[in-house]
Amino acid sequence: MNLMQIHNLTVQFGGLRAVNGLSLEVRKGELLCLLGPNGAGKSTTLDLICGKTRATSGQIVFDGQDITGLKEYKRARCGIGRKFQVPSVFKDLTVLENIELARSPRPGILDALRVFRTPIRGRVREVLQIVGLIDLVDLRAGNLSHGQTQWLEIAMLLAQDSKLILMDEPTAGMTIQETLQTAAIFNALKGDHTIIVVEHDMQFVRQVAERVIVMNQGSLLAEGSIAEIEADPRVKAVYLGH
Amino acid sequence: MNRNNTSDYLGHLVFVLAILLGVPAALGFDGFELNTFARYLSLAIVAAALALSWGTAGILNLGQAATFGIGAYVMAMHLKLVASAGNPDGLPDFMGWNNVTSLPWFWQPFQSLGATLALGLALPALMAWAMGIFMFRARITGVFVAIITLAFLVALQLWFIEEQRFTGGQNGLTGLAPLDLFGWQVDTYSLGFYYLVAGCLIAALALGTLILRSKVGLVLRAIREDSQRVRYFGYDVAGYETFVFSTSAAIAGWAGMLYALVLEFASPTYIGVAFSLAIVIWVAVGGRESLVGAAVGAILVNLAEGRLSDLFVESWLLILGVGFILFVLFLPRGLYGLLRQGFDRLARLRMRAAGRDVKPQESAR
Repeated sequence: MNLMQIHNLTVQFGGLRAVNGLSLEVRKGELLCLLGPNGAGKSTTLDLICGKTRATSGQIVFDGQDITGLKEYKRARCGIGRKFQVPSVFKDLTVLENIELARSPRPGILDALRVFRTPIRGRVREVLQIVGLIDLVDLRAGNLSHGQTQWLEIAMLLAQDSKLILMDEPTAGMTIQETLQTAAIFNALKGDHTIIVVEHDMQFVRQVAERVIVMNQGSLLAEGSIAEIEADPRVKAVYLGH
Repeated sequence: MNRNNTSDYLGHLVFVLAILLGVPAALGFDGFELNTFARYLSLAIVAAALALSWGTAGILNLGQAATFGIGAYVMAMHLKLVASAGNPDGLPDFMGWNNVTSLPWFWQPFQSLGATLALGLALPALMAWAMGIFMFRARITGVFVAIITLAFLVALQLWFIEEQRFTGGQNGLTGLAPLDLFGWQVDTYSLGFYYLVAGCLIAALALGTLILRSKVGLVLRAIREDSQRVRYFGYDVAGYETFVFSTSAAIAGWAGMLYALVLEFASPTYIGVAFSLAIVIWVAVGGRESLVGAAVGAILVNLAEGRLSDLFVESWLLILGVGFILFVLFLPRGLYGLLRQGFDRLARLRMRAAGRDVKPQESAR
């Protein structure tokens, strides 16, 4: 069953078509990897899905609803979460406050006026335990190490509990150990959540990916399992430049 | 949301006790002396209003005086109508001098005290809401908000001066009647009036603090840091910004109403750039991260102005100016930041001391 369908999506920046007539389907509960050389339009595709960039033409249907013209916060309310390439936690807030912010089942002002504190239990506790930050809840997020910051961001995405999670290079700057742990988390996540990952680390892709889509110059180049992709001569050509 | 707030609560308690008991006791419960202090307290309310939007959400409203001034004019219009009840058609004197023959429609609602009190809050809030929708939906932030609000303030003041027939022009609204607050004839030189203003200040601070302690405060602090990221969690950033901007405007309007009562007139200088920038200075001195800090800043600066102008008739402005520069250079987080830092250092020292106590025991074992 499809969670999201993208039809003929195009975005034009001046003379450049960063994404050019892209069509793809995302199945419920799968982990889809987006690969491609620099400038292939992978991050832009994520931007188009979460609303950071508005499409020039084409259509995005998410969970039966056309979201092409919706604002970012409305797409987030539909169940689309996003992790950016640069770790973007709120440095002035504590670890717990970051999680409280991300956990937003009712993000309206009138609801928020009535919430005074989120107890550390249930899903919030679970998420903090998964990423191993349960003992650091009162620490300012700005004082976390680089790895911990990445973890906090993943915890925030888990707390947000989106149906679809968009990850832009989640293992960038992680040690091998941390990358392995991240892969384990991703494997536990898929099924309940649908995940689209943009990633360069092939080691990591081999561990998590079920289906891989390769993009080139804004369009879909190849699609299939990791083994099929690695054997595909067209993919070799764009990566090696032949 | 915040969990390490014992020092904050303590600070609030000290402040409330000082306002309710300390100051009146120091001034001998004398209504005449307390009138001056009531003026400071009403200015403290508008300072807290600015801290609400600037300190938390990072929205620097350089036009805060506009909302304050509207509150003041609303109150003054009511009192002017009460004072003019004996005139033909109940027309205020200055309108007669300007050949206005009947009371304009927008003066009519201010015949009623209830409508006046409601409009004193609602008009500034509505105005801010309209501006907020326009600014925040277009994702205008930072210095551009400051420029737009400042430009609006200047335009509003010009308009108030220009429309002399309806606003009293440069003279403002003078010759006001005393306020009859539901049967209580308010004497602005009485202990009762001081407590009315003090009560309003404490209520405004409590309201603002409640908002900031709720999840709305958390979202606003997150918006100050990275508004774009907040959107991807499903929060309507423009909505939150407009909310805090309007709430701040309503509280400023409230302060303006009290200010018009204290001074017994409303003048276009209340909508002036100089006054608006003064509010920013008070908040910067007190510390914009804390509403009570901002209120204390307003009170202290105004006290200092009063004392310095008595002592140094010629050079007091210069002394005050140098003081502000030193503050901004060396205490960018204001007095509140200084206290906060002190408390944090104390807590760290205590923790380190506790750590040292533990170690010898361990080695003894």
